[in-house]
Formats: sequence, C-alpha cells, structure tokens
Amino acid sequence: MSKKVKNNAQKYWQSLDQLADSPEYRKYLLQRYQEETDNSFSRRNFLSLMGASLALAGLASCRRPVEKIIPYVSQPEEIIPGVPNYYATSMPFGNSAYGLIVECHEGRPTKIEGNPVHPSTMGSSDILIQASILGLYDPDRSRSVKHNGSKKSYEDFVAFWIGLHEEFSKNRGEGLAVLSESFSSPTLARLKNDFAKKFPRAHWATYEPISDENIYKAIKQVTGEDLRPVYHYDKADVILSLDSDFLQTESENISAARGFAEKRNVTENGNAMNRLYVVESAYSVTGSVADHRMRLSSNRIYEFLYVLVDKLNIYPSFTAHKSLSDQFDMEWISAVVDDLKKAKGRCIVIAGRNQSQEVHELVFAINFLLGNIGNTVTLKEIQDTSLPNRHDIARLMTNLKNGNVKTLVIIGGNPAYNVPSEHEFKYWMDRLEHSVHFSEYYDETSTMTEWHVPRAHYLESWGDVRAADGTLGVIQPMIEPLFGGKSNVEFYNLISSGDERIGYDITRETWIKFLGTRNFEDKWRLILHDGLLENSFLPNRNPRLKRPYDSMIKEVPIDDGLAFTAEFNPKLTFHLELTFHPSKLYDGRYANNGWLMELPDPITKLAWDNAALISPATARELELKNGDIIEISHQNKKLDIPIWISPGQADYSISLPLGYGREFPGRVCKGIGFDTYKLMDSSNGFMLTGASIIRTGGRHDFANTQDHNSMEGRPVVREADLEEFKRNPSFAKEMVEHPPLKSIFPDHDYSRGYQWGMVIDLNVCIGCGACTIACQSENNIPIVGKEQVSRGREMHWIRNDRYYVGNSDDPQIVHQPVACQQCENAPCEQVCPVAATTHDKEGLNTMNYNRCIGTRYCSNNCPYKVRRFNFFNYVKDMPEVIRMAQNPDVTVRSRGVMEKCTFCIQRLTRAKRNAKAEGRTVKDGEVLTACQQACPANAIHFGNIIDPESNVSKLKTDERNHDLLGELNVRPRNSYLAKIRNPNPLLKGYKSDDV
Amino acid sequence: MANGTENIAEYSNPGQVTGDKLSFKSLTDKISGITERKTPPVWFVAFGAAFSLLLVLLGSIGYLVWEGVGIWGLNNPVGWGWAIINFVWWVGIGHAGTLISAILFLLRQRWRTSINRFAEAMTLFAIMCALIFPGIHVGRIWVAYWMAPIPNQMSMWPNFRSPLLWDVFAVSTYFTASLLFWFTGLIPDLATFRDRAKKKLKKLVFGILSLGWRGGNRQWRHYELAYLILAGISTPLVLSVHSVVSTDFAVSILPGWHTTIFPPYFVAGAIFSGFAMVVTLTIIARKIYSLEHIITIDHLEKMNKIMLLTGMMVGYAYSIEFFIAWYSGNIYEQFVFLNRAFGNYAWAYWIMISCNVLVPQIFWVKRWRRAVPVMFVASILINVGMWFERFVIVVTSLSRDFLPANWDYYKPTFWDISTFVGSFGLFFTLFLLFIRFLPMISMTEVKAVLPQADPHSRTSGGLDE
Repeated sequence: MSKKVKNNAQKYWQSLDQLADSPEYRKYLLQRYQEETDNSFSRRNFLSLMGASLALAGLASCRRPVEKIIPYVSQPEEIIPGVPNYYATSMPFGNSAYGLIVECHEGRPTKIEGNPVHPSTMGSSDILIQASILGLYDPDRSRSVKHNGSKKSYEDFVAFWIGLHEEFSKNRGEGLAVLSESFSSPTLARLKNDFAKKFPRAHWATYEPISDENIYKAIKQVTGEDLRPVYHYDKADVILSLDSDFLQTESENISAARGFAEKRNVTENGNAMNRLYVVESAYSVTGSVADHRMRLSSNRIYEFLYVLVDKLNIYPSFTAHKSLSDQFDMEWISAVVDDLKKAKGRCIVIAGRNQSQEVHELVFAINFLLGNIGNTVTLKEIQDTSLPNRHDIARLMTNLKNGNVKTLVIIGGNPAYNVPSEHEFKYWMDRLEHSVHFSEYYDETSTMTEWHVPRAHYLESWGDVRAADGTLGVIQPMIEPLFGGKSNVEFYNLISSGDERIGYDITRETWIKFLGTRNFEDKWRLILHDGLLENSFLPNRNPRLKRPYDSMIKEVPIDDGLAFTAEFNPKLTFHLELTFHPSKLYDGRYANNGWLMELPDPITKLAWDNAALISPATARELELKNGDIIEISHQNKKLDIPIWISPGQADYSISLPLGYGREFPGRVCKGIGFDTYKLMDSSNGFMLTGASIIRTGGRHDFANTQDHNSMEGRPVVREADLEEFKRNPSFAKEMVEHPPLKSIFPDHDYSRGYQWGMVIDLNVCIGCGACTIACQSENNIPIVGKEQVSRGREMHWIRNDRYYVGNSDDPQIVHQPVACQQCENAPCEQVCPVAATTHDKEGLNTMNYNRCIGTRYCSNNCPYKVRRFNFFNYVKDMPEVIRMAQNPDVTVRSRGVMEKCTFCIQRLTRAKRNAKAEGRTVKDGEVLTACQQACPANAIHFGNIIDPESNVSKLKTDERNHDLLGELNVRPRNSYLAKIRNPNPLLKGYKSDDV
Repeated sequence: MANGTENIAEYSNPGQVTGDKLSFKSLTDKISGITERKTPPVWFVAFGAAFSLLLVLLGSIGYLVWEGVGIWGLNNPVGWGWAIINFVWWVGIGHAGTLISAILFLLRQRWRTSINRFAEAMTLFAIMCALIFPGIHVGRIWVAYWMAPIPNQMSMWPNFRSPLLWDVFAVSTYFTASLLFWFTGLIPDLATFRDRAKKKLKKLVFGILSLGWRGGNRQWRHYELAYLILAGISTPLVLSVHSVVSTDFAVSILPGWHTTIFPPYFVAGAIFSGFAMVVTLTIIARKIYSLEHIITIDHLEKMNKIMLLTGMMVGYAYSIEFFIAWYSGNIYEQFVFLNRAFGNYAWAYWIMISCNVLVPQIFWVKRWRRAVPVMFVASILINVGMWFERFVIVVTSLSRDFLPANWDYYKPTFWDISTFVGSFGLFFTLFLLFIRFLPMISMTEVKAVLPQADPHSRTSGGLDE
C-alpha cells in the first residue's frame, strides 16, 4: 500500500489503534509497510499478518478502493480454510503473456495452471510457468530500496525521483535514459508513451538478451509493417524447422506443442499425421521429436536455405552454386521440397530466433510463396509492445560514453550480467550521475546502480498484457507483495509522471479505453473472472511482400560458409562455431529457482550445471571426455567451461546454454554453471564462428540423472514408422512374448467404483519436463541439491527417460515419462514388512508415510524404480518463506521415508468430495492430475478405466496401447501408446538399429 | 598320525587330540588355566585394538542415526548396499558354529569336540554383528520395532508376506536357539570353573551360571538328553536361517535375485564362510595359547575338506545361474548375469570367483590341506570372496535392472566402510572377552573323546595318573 493511499484513507479507520494513532500502531505500520529488511520473514509472521488482514477485511469494508479479485471457478463468500480458491491472472513474458489460473490456499498462491480460454496456454503450461510460483517465495528476492548499498525507504526514492523528474521536465529529458525489458502491455505502452511525450529528448532503449528481434525485423523488412507471426501447427501437415526449437524454447511454445500434438494424433486423425523435418546444430526438444533430423552447424542454415530455395524453384532466376549443393544431402533436401510442394498452404517453414534477419526474410518469403501466410502462419499487428533492439543498447552505450546520458533508469532486466562485454557496461555505469535499477533481485546490475527499487512478482502485481495474438489479459495480485516490492505499472507511472499511484488505478485507467465507461464495473469484474477480454485478439493482416523476392538473395557465401570445415590441428585449436541457447533458466532470470535448476535438461539430462555441448566426433578428435574443462576463446574473449558430449550435435559446433554462472549470490544459483554470456558478441547475436578451444586439464563433476542412454534392445519405448503401424497396428503389444500371467495371490476387486488409470501417448510427448515441475509443485517434492542428484537421489515423482536410438553420432531420441505405474499386482506392496504401501479399492498403490520405516525394499522390488527415498531430511533447511509455496493438501515427508506418485490423490479426494456433496459421481475429465494438466501436448490422459465412456478407457482399447514391463505380471494401471514416426518413404535407411 | 594307521588311530582316538601327556587333569588345567592366569599383555593389545574398532562402529551408528542413511552410498536404483551385504555375510559366518555343534553332533562326528565351543561362540558374536545391520539400515531407526508383531493401540500389524519379516523371525530364532545350545554345553565347564575359583566374586558368578551342577549321574543323564534335543532343534534352523535370508532376494522380482536356487546356494555359502572363519580364528588361538595338541592339524584338515566341498557347491550354483539365465530366454535375466561377469562390476565378480571357486581347489592337495599358513591365507580369502558374493548379488542386480534409464553406479562412502570395519570391533571385542573369561574349548566333551575315556581303548588300561 502506498503512502498516498494511506493518507487518503485516513478518514476511514481500520482499527481502534489506528484511530488513536498510537505510537504502537505507528511502529506496527512502520514494520508492516516500510520494509521487510531482515531475513526473518517467518511463517508465524505471515500467518499472523494473514490472520490480521482477514480480521481486518471485515472492518475494512470502508476502505477505498477495494481491490476486487474475482474467483474463476466458484465464488466463495469467504475464504474457507482447506478449500482453495482459483483466480485468473497473466504472466508477462517478453513480448507475450501467458494466461493463468492460480490456486490459492487461504490467500497464499500455491499452484499455477494454464487458463483454458487463453490462446497462449490453453489450460497447459511449461516449466517456466510452473516454476514461477517458487520465484514468488524466493527468500533471496530484494526486500528493500537501496541507495548505494544501504537501506532506504521507498519514500526516499520517490522524493529523489520527484526532484529529478522536475529537473528533467524543464530540459525535456536531456540526459535521461531508460533501459527497459520488452513488454506487451497496454498500460505499460501508455505510460511509455507518456514518458516519450514528457521527455522527448530522453532515450528509451529496450533490451532482451533472448528475443525474436530478427524475426520482427525481417518481417518489417519484407512487408514494411511491424507484424508478429502466429503459427498454427494444428493446420500444418509438413513442418520444416531450421534451428527452431518451437516446441520448447521459442516464443509461444505451448500453443505450438498443442497444435503439433493434435496433428500427430494418429488415432484421431485416421492414421494420418504430420511430418516434421528439423535442421539444427544442437539437439533440441523439437529435434528430438522430428521425423527427419539433419544436424548442421547453425551458420550453415543459410546455405541450406539457398539450396532449398533453389530446389523449391520459387525464384525462377535463382540457382544455388553447384559447390554449395554438393555440401548437402540432396536426397534429403529433395524429399523436403517434395513434401513442402505437396502441402502448399498446409505447411510451415520456421527458423529459430538465433538465425539472422536474412534467413528470416527468406523463410518468410518461402512461407508466402507456398501459400502458408494466412493459413498456417497468420500475421498480427504488434500493439502495445516495446520491441527489443540490439542496436538500441549500442546507441545507449554510445550516448553513455559521449556523456549524453546523466541519469539511467533500468527497468527490469540484468544488463550487467547479460549485455555483451564489449559494451563495457559496468565501466560506464560508474560514470553516471544517477542510476536506478528496478528489479526483483538485488542482482549484478543493482549492485552498481545508485538506487535499487525492489520489484513485485507478477503474482503480487496489478497490470495487463497482450498475448501473441493480441488478446488482452489482466494481471491481478494473488497476495500482497511479500517483500514490499512495487509493481511494474506503479514504477513506470512514477518514472513517467513523477506521481505515485497504486497499480489498480493505473491499470483500470487503461482499460476504460477497451471497456468503455458504460457498465465498466460489470465488464471489469468479468475480465477479472476470465483473466482476459474475450475476442480481443487482433485481426489477421495480409501484407504484400514489399521487396522483390529476388533482391533477398544475396551473394552466395561460398567462401566464409565453408571456412570452418575443419583443418585439424593437433594442438586442439579449431575454427569452431559457437551457438547460444536459452536454457531451462531462460536467460538467467530464473537462475535462483531450485525446481528449474534440478530439472534434468530434456536432452542431456544434466541437472544444475550447463556445459559446452560438443558432438561425439569432435570430442573424439580433440580427445575430450565428459567433464573436461576447456578454454573457449573467440577474438579477445575467453571462457573456461566443461564439455558434455551430446550425440546428435553438429560436428565442430559448440552449443552454449545461457543463464548460468551468475555472480548474484542466491542460495540456489551461487557458483552453479558457467556464464556463457562472456563469449557473446554484440553484433552476431546467437552464433559466432572462428572460436578455438584448448583443454585446460581441469575436470568438472556433473550431476546427470540418466547414466545410460541406450535401451539395450529392450522393448521399453515401442516405436514404429507410420507405414509399419498401418500394416500392423498392434505391433507394440507383439513386441513382448510371455507365458500366461498368473499370480499366487488373490486379486483385489477392481470391478466397482472408480478405478483410476492413466495413458501416456508417447507419440505426442515432447519430453519438455513440464510434468515434472508441475508434480513437484503440486506434491511438495523437495529440492535435494547438486551433490545429492549426482549421487542419484533426485526426488522427482515423474521423470522423463530419454533414450538415444541408432547411430551414436547422429541418433534419434525417444522420450518416456515414467511415474508410478500403480500396479494392480504391485511388487512393492508385497515386500513391505510394515504394510506401509498398500492398495486402495480404487486401484491406487498408496503410501502411508507415517507407517513407513524406510527399508527401501519396495524400491528395490519396483521394476520401474519410481519410488523416491528421503535419504536425509531434505526439508529441514527449507526457508520459512518457501514453505508457503507448499501445497497444504499434501504431507511433507520426513527423513527416512519412501515417497512416490499416487495420481495426485489429494485432487481425487477433493473431486470425490465435491461430487458427493452434489450427489453425483465424478465426471470424466473433472479431475486432472498435475502432470496431465501441465502437459502442453496433452500426452497424459487420466480417468476411470471401468467407465466405458471415459477418455482413458477408450484410449486403453487403442491398438497402440501397451503396458511397460507388463510381462512381469505387475499389471500396471498406467499404460503407454506407442510412438509412431512418420518418415518420408523417399528417404530409405533413416531408421537404424539400436546401438 | 598322518600315516597308514590313520583309520585305526581315528577309531582309537575319535577326538583326534594328540600328545601323550594329555590327561583329564592336564586338560582341565590347560583350559581353565587360560582364564585363571594373569592376563597376557598381548590380550590387552588385541582388546585395545578391537575396542577401538567397536568405538568406530558406535560412532558410525551415532552419526547415522543423527543424519540418516544418506551418509551411505545408496542411491535410487541401489536401495540396499553394504549394510545388507554385511548382514548376510555375518549371518553366513554364524553358520559354522551350530552346524558343528548340532549337525556334526547328531552325525556323531566326534572330532567336533575340540572346536565346537569356539565355533558356537563365534556364531553368536557373528549373529550379533549381523543383527545390527537390519536394525540400522532402515530410514527411521526409532520405529524399526514396528517390524515386530507387537499388539498396539494403533492396530498396526506387520505384513507377513514380506520376506524381511520372515528374516526377523528366522534370525532371532536362530540366535535364541544357538545361545541356549551354547549355554547348555557350557554348564559342566562352568561348574569346573566354579570349583576352581578362588575369589568370591568368581565363585558367585560361576556358581549362578552353572545352575547348581554337581556332576551327578542323573544330572548327566538329563544334560545329555537336553543337549541332544537342542541339537535336534538347532539342526533345521541351520538350514532354515540362511534359506530365509535368501528369500529376501529370491521372493523379489528383480533379475539376479529372483531365482529358486537361492536357499540351498545360500546355505552352502554360509557353511563355506562359517568354516573359513572358524579356521582363521582357530589358527590364531591355538597358536597363542599353545593348543596344538587339542586342536590338531587333523581338525583343521577336516574343516578344509568341508570348505572344499561347499566351495564347489557355490561354484556349481554360480554356473547353474548362468545356465538357467540362458535357458529361461528372459532377456533381463540374461543381461544381469552377463553384466555381472563383464559389466561395470566385473571386478567384483572375478574377485568372488577367484576366492570362492579357485582358492578352495588347493585343498585337493593333502600337503596344502595340512599346511597352516596355506589354509590361513585361504580361509581369509574365502571370506573376502563370500563378502563379494553378497556384493555381487545385491549391488549388480540393483544397479542395472529393467529400465536402462534407471541404471546408476553405486559407490560406498566412508561411513559404509567404517560401519563394516567397526562391526569387526564388536566381533573381536566379544570374542576376546570370551576367551579371557570362559572355557574356549569344551573340557567336558574333549574329555569324553580322550582315549582314556574309552574303556576299550588300548591306552585305557588304567588311569594314567
């Protein structure tokens, strides 16, 4: 609550103490509102405050304005302890936003789900969304305003800024600069405009280390308009991805995964499915589900595209140079061309954001000429955003160096960490008169600015967003700022107007434009309920190509393109390519998030660290082993980083995940990983050539969660080509022969009531890991740390097994999520000496934590090894504030106890309770497990298997349905639908034997 | 006596003791004297060392209770490690005593008398060491008693389908029976000690322990019968206890554990390692206390023969496991055994094969069978091999089971090692106390097999005193 509101509200009193304005009350106010400066924000404090605020809620009905948060699912008259409330909000993310539903227990958000009506999430989520709840409770977040490192109050900062604001108002912003993150928000756009009007001479730069800048620039270049592409994978029969990890790390990954999965569902599509070609340097999640994958250095994608354009024959006058064509597998390219031509208007060619503007221009032209624009690729006007611009920060730095900038306000971001080093950001920062950093953490940048202002988490803020398709959404707070931060809109408002207002008012002011003044309150309440303004997406634009196509083709870069084809040098010096990729920590902003840190990378299965990924062939040539530390040098930059051999990586190309090696001393990220930004170059963006490496002789220990990469010829993940599948639909079941399965123990009665079961469709699973984090959030799964993970003690209840198939230099990948299979004839139950794990009558293999004495026999006897043991008391040192992120419906397990998945039994219980209260049975789809709900590809299906009408029971009759290790007669309730790949029949011999 | 007259000698000297001077009195003096003389300095040195190791054990357990089983090297696929290996190994060692006392007694192998007391004590101490491990390896040590069927207000009852529960009963029954058997055998000797005691306290303690033994005819009759009955009770236990321990593995569904050969194979292995341990300890004790005439080379040779036999039985089991794995057509089973021999734990497998199968083969040669240094080294190697046998079974099967994604390598930590080494401290502390305060050789029984005890013996023309 801001001071101003308090003053306004002074005539309304909230308590007798306040009325009396006693010293105690003033002291309380000071403690409560000024700053939570020390680290002692205890749960007791929180609960007492929550209790007090609840008690006050009755009294405070006189307080104005009342900030209404409207429930999404059911409207409680009051908060009922034990019954969660669900509210809609949005998570701003770069130039887009994710619509969310947040589960709150007694005013405490505990779990995030996608908003089913939001176009960017469609009810699903990804790892970043799931993990952001933990970020809210991060005890390392900044807790106070700081001035040159010492604590100040927000009022001090406001007073400082008002002084400066007046000064700059006089000279129209001369010497003032703002460096912001990119955003997509009507309110922030309005405030930015206000700023520009008020300070026309000020410089506003927008910077994102990872952005779609090249894509926007390319489209602007060829159409003359600022347009955003929206891809419709649900309409695409053929997809060619050029270094684009559109299923995981590119923008709008959730809707992409959903659309892709829909087109891949052979059961619903009548034995038809899409075909995905991927050309990439580093193995990505998208590459792992490709039907055909070509590994190629990122900087040769351009050449590939030239040859493709030549073969596509869309530029009659163009022929790729013969020597260029010789470099590629022309059979492969012809197959792609053939498929693309056959699927005009039903295909997508997409390039990754690390590709150059020229590549994106060509890709756009190809999509245009194949008739995809308006069909599988629609274009939306870019509104209310601040587009990131790499040149902007270069201009800003020039201004800084010239002394044209006296005061720099940095809104969000962490430029001291992620701006390329040649800008000498740190050096020039010291030469400013005034500098301000507004951020959630007192991070690398904050330590070098004069002022630091803590930013509130999005779950603590008011605000608004525009999604990729232009849909307007609202951000509403779930909880008062835990550490006294200010919301984005409040800070933007202060900077531009010099005036302090609360975020609620600022946001509503913008929305009058969209909702009109008539019935505003009613419409506003609906917006808060839905989280978005229905049908507010922007219309499609159908621009014409401004530039003649032919001018896009530049000189064929034969010389530099081939320069790196390896002159082998025994001194281990190479002419290598470096590519930079967002990691699971994205650009490093989530580095202090333990869930993300501990999530194994979908491809390498490395938890905690990042590594320089190199191909097996390159490693052999350089005689490098996993964990060898190398020094990478490029021009005058150097970095020591250990390597990890990644099968399927392009030779002579090194992939460097971003976001690690933070100097910020967070309790999670401190000393973890290697700062690959140190090698990044301001001009070339995400890829560099001409790097050399030297082995330093050092070694690094990694925490890898999967030591063995091959299926050893076992029928674990069962896979077939589409043609094989059509010939023999039940191939998966036939992969295992076994004698009749009989048990000496009598069966449980599984014929009545609810019989819960699960089906996981391996054909659409992309291996992203959202299920793992969702489960971790829902089930209070502890973080155990790198040392424990490296000893094989990670606690994830659902893990994603990744196997390499085929040639060990260029393998295919299959993913398999494995949670407890809830065996009907469970081997774990029989061997427990104290009967701590038993069967319930709904077919669940339940765990009685209180009864468990920890013999670990159940885990030994579990063929899936899905049980997880608390080797230590992993929650003992959990900070109080993180305990608030825990789900109160799930027991926190103590040391010495075995734990595992029970199909989110707390959700089942809640659904059954609700159904019973309403005198009905639980409907199909009414209860979703956490993993199922999060899955962006809808790969996980759950329900009552004896209800013939349920989705899951229908899938259980699918021909692809099979049990994992069913031959052991454990009779798992969880089954899998076999994976189908759809290779081009023109390309023979792609599928090779298991290594 | 290693000559052609052996058969006659055996007939005339069933106890196989040697030395013309050995008489009832000299035997009593010899055995009692060990406990009555001033404690030799070497005992103090040994006891100091053993007790230090015992402190290591207590320290390791203390830290374990404080921190959790995470201090060991266990991980997700490998839920059982050194603790269970040590348990099975110690239980195995605890097999020889009762086998010698009970089965050989029933089979009238009268040469057993020189070594049975010794072996029985070893059995008890080995089982004590063994029992520590299942107790401390659970995650919540303070509720380990929930495995026992104790009626309680929470209506909790153990799961009788779990082999771990069978274990609890099998091992505790075996321990109880072995203890009673050992104590019963001690009674006449304790009475001898009581009679010879000069100090009041000693008189009192041995007086109580000897249960009023006077050596009367009727007492002897009851005693012999009780001993026979106890031998009868103990005999099936010798076979059952390790069979039940083996079901910990055999009842599971894990490849490499789930085999029907386990019970006999485990019993053979247990006898094998038990005899090896008896030989190791006997060699030391007979040397230090000059008991070569009571525990003779013939005794040692007989034990070596048993090791040769049981060593070949385990060797047979190792080979038949491979055959069945191939014959079953089960890919998981086949993989496990190939992985044992050629996988990442192959070193452990070949240590096991060398020590358990190859080393005992030297006992085909009579000269080596009767050479003390050879058998001393061999007996130690056999117990090393038997430890690795349990390591191979427990760890290799778990570390690479059905789904390759789960595979992980298991490495012990300092605490795994210190707990195991510390358990020797307990064993030797108890053993040293035993030889210091109790008759380490059954005087009563050896006297009964002395030639003088046989009225028909050539040398029993009259009492030689």
